[in-house]
Amino acid sequence: MNAISEQQSSHIIARLQERLGEDSVKTDADALTEYGKDWTTAYRPDPLAVVLPRNIEQVVNLVQLANKLNFPLVPSGGRTGLSGGAVASNREVVVAFDRMNRILEFDAVDRQVVCEPGVITEQLQQFAEQQGLFYPVDFASAGSSQIGGNVATNAGGIKVIRYGMTRQWVMGLKVVTGSGELLELNRGLVKNATGYDFRHLFIGSEGTLGLVVEVTLALTAVPRDPTVLLLAVNDMQSCMEVLKTFQGRLQLSAFEFFSEPALQHVVSHKGLQRPFETQSPFYALIEFENDSESRLDEAMELFEVCLEAGWVLDGTVSQSVGQAETLWRLREDISETISRFSPYKNDISVRVSKVPEFLSRVDELVSARYPDFEIIWFGHIGDGNVHLNILKPEDLDLKTFQEQCGKVSREVFQLVKNYAGSVSAEHGVGLLKKAFLEASRDPLEIAYMKAVKKVFDPNGILNPGKVFDIQ
Amino acid sequence: MKVLVAVKRVVDAYVKVRVKSDHSGVELANAKMAINPFCEIAVEEAIRLKEQGKAEEVIAVSIGTSASQEQIRTALALGADRGILVETDQEAQPLSVARILKAIVEKEGIDLVILGKQSIDTDNNQVGQMLGALTNMPQGTFACKAEPGDGTITVTREIDGGEQTVALKLPAIVTTDLRLNEPRYASLPNIMKAKKKPIDTVTPDALGVSMESRIRTLSVEPPPQRSAGIKVGSVDELIDKLKNEAKVI
Repeated sequence: MNAISEQQSSHIIARLQERLGEDSVKTDADALTEYGKDWTTAYRPDPLAVVLPRNIEQVVNLVQLANKLNFPLVPSGGRTGLSGGAVASNREVVVAFDRMNRILEFDAVDRQVVCEPGVITEQLQQFAEQQGLFYPVDFASAGSSQIGGNVATNAGGIKVIRYGMTRQWVMGLKVVTGSGELLELNRGLVKNATGYDFRHLFIGSEGTLGLVVEVTLALTAVPRDPTVLLLAVNDMQSCMEVLKTFQGRLQLSAFEFFSEPALQHVVSHKGLQRPFETQSPFYALIEFENDSESRLDEAMELFEVCLEAGWVLDGTVSQSVGQAETLWRLREDISETISRFSPYKNDISVRVSKVPEFLSRVDELVSARYPDFEIIWFGHIGDGNVHLNILKPEDLDLKTFQEQCGKVSREVFQLVKNYAGSVSAEHGVGLLKKAFLEASRDPLEIAYMKAVKKVFDPNGILNPGKVFDIQ
Repeated sequence: MKVLVAVKRVVDAYVKVRVKSDHSGVELANAKMAINPFCEIAVEEAIRLKEQGKAEEVIAVSIGTSASQEQIRTALALGADRGILVETDQEAQPLSVARILKAIVEKEGIDLVILGKQSIDTDNNQVGQMLGALTNMPQGTFACKAEPGDGTITVTREIDGGEQTVALKLPAIVTTDLRLNEPRYASLPNIMKAKKKPIDTVTPDALGVSMESRIRTLSVEPPPQRSAGIKVGSVDELIDKLKNEAKVI
């Protein structure tokens, strides 16, 4: 799609105002800057206009107009993405769902809730709590991210090992395709063996196939007494043994890890207490539901097994909800704590069993190239998802640092390819990972993706330039 | 020095409690229970005294049903040497608790009693003071600092607008405030070792204390619901509402 001229711009804005009402179209500089970017900082926002539809009909109208006048649309939720999926830097029209933020229906027998895409994740979590139920997809940005965006990116987070990704909770979807047609998918059915389930094509498609306009989500029972174990583990191989041992006997709701430098940063920056005096290269944070007395005994037995095998050196268990929360902070506050070092961040995954080997290869690579760089590891190791963070040395300027990290990226992604991993475990491709898509996906597969895109969005109206380019 | 700490089993401070439908109390069925946070601080202080070589033995006592053993075990895992469970199904009201503690102090020859200043369930703030009256021991309440000396303990107390430092002659009572220390986590190896530490079970009767109830709860009410906020369209509207509706300016 070619750049839009000034004359076309004012024409488009006038038509938008005509069709959707003047108060639904924003063109002031503040709105354009705010809605033109997500949490990715590398891109300059430059949208043509921001449109805030109030209902499905307006969304259909908007997409039809975009097809007619040939202007691109960028769907926008809470804009907490980290790969530039919601960035509009090329005179696109941003479609923000802030005004479609109602919870429409709830059924206690189905344990399903129907909501508009602009409902904020935390709002849904609180709604579930009021019904005595639980929406388990949770992550650091839950206070800002919207359900529509969660679906479009198949958001994951900290409870994936127990509850899966957003995909697992979507029981029904209404989407407006790139050709401006309203599709209703699966209608809340648990079982439905009647051909292709397009729902799953739209989940995680990063707004390139259709706009999510209504979501039916499943809710589940509230977990009882989530209890946290924090273990000092000897090395990554031991960490995997610990995972295997605990997973064999307990249903875990989280298995996270972080390295000693990560712990040191959090403890000193946040003024938190070290969980124990023992220092070890890595720590594993395990959460399980302590739903009966024998469960805790079982966890203790497993700890003994790990201790005797020499995999763990020390550990603690939360004695109260408050302690569970403080132990979680040791993991969850890492990102915020290291943000003052302008870190280079990467969200990658390999098969769970390959994690230790992969990790040490990346370590070797980075320290061979740049011995002064400090590496901080943490992540959802139970899912094979690790976050690689490289801190900027104080005396290095940001530009040089980013250039050097760019070089590291290419080599890291080559390693990801060798280990049959993913260059983006849960942050999506967007703009940031587009150039590296082939490290995770076969050219044939990418060709099929493009063909699918053509089916639902023949004119390339939706989020052009994201995930891959179509020539 | 022999130190006695009391640990009370209370509803976890982070649990949102609901009032029972008959208003007789709060719903505790299936609720997460934990050591009263002020008692946790008392345990930590006692263990620190032991680690500094100033206390020879730390005894943790709890009054309640057999479920309170769980809280004693936690105290043992944190570093207490042995436990005493005073087993009773009846509600432990402050005067009965103080009498039980007095009996134990006398039986065990305790030099220092460290208690939480209050428990977060009933918020009475009475036991330490009552124990002082019953035993004639000096008390340093709301402690934010405690330094044992030779046959004495110097306690810095949180008071309105400042601090007060008092010197107490042992045996004495200290009740803890939040700033006294930051309790440690119970380490898993220590939790395992704590399983082998002894817990004696006694009844209030055996200590010569009656659990007779002196306080009757008439009704428990939840706090009034706050009404929802509104959005105003302009500064003028805000000022108008503050003036004429809220009447605060």
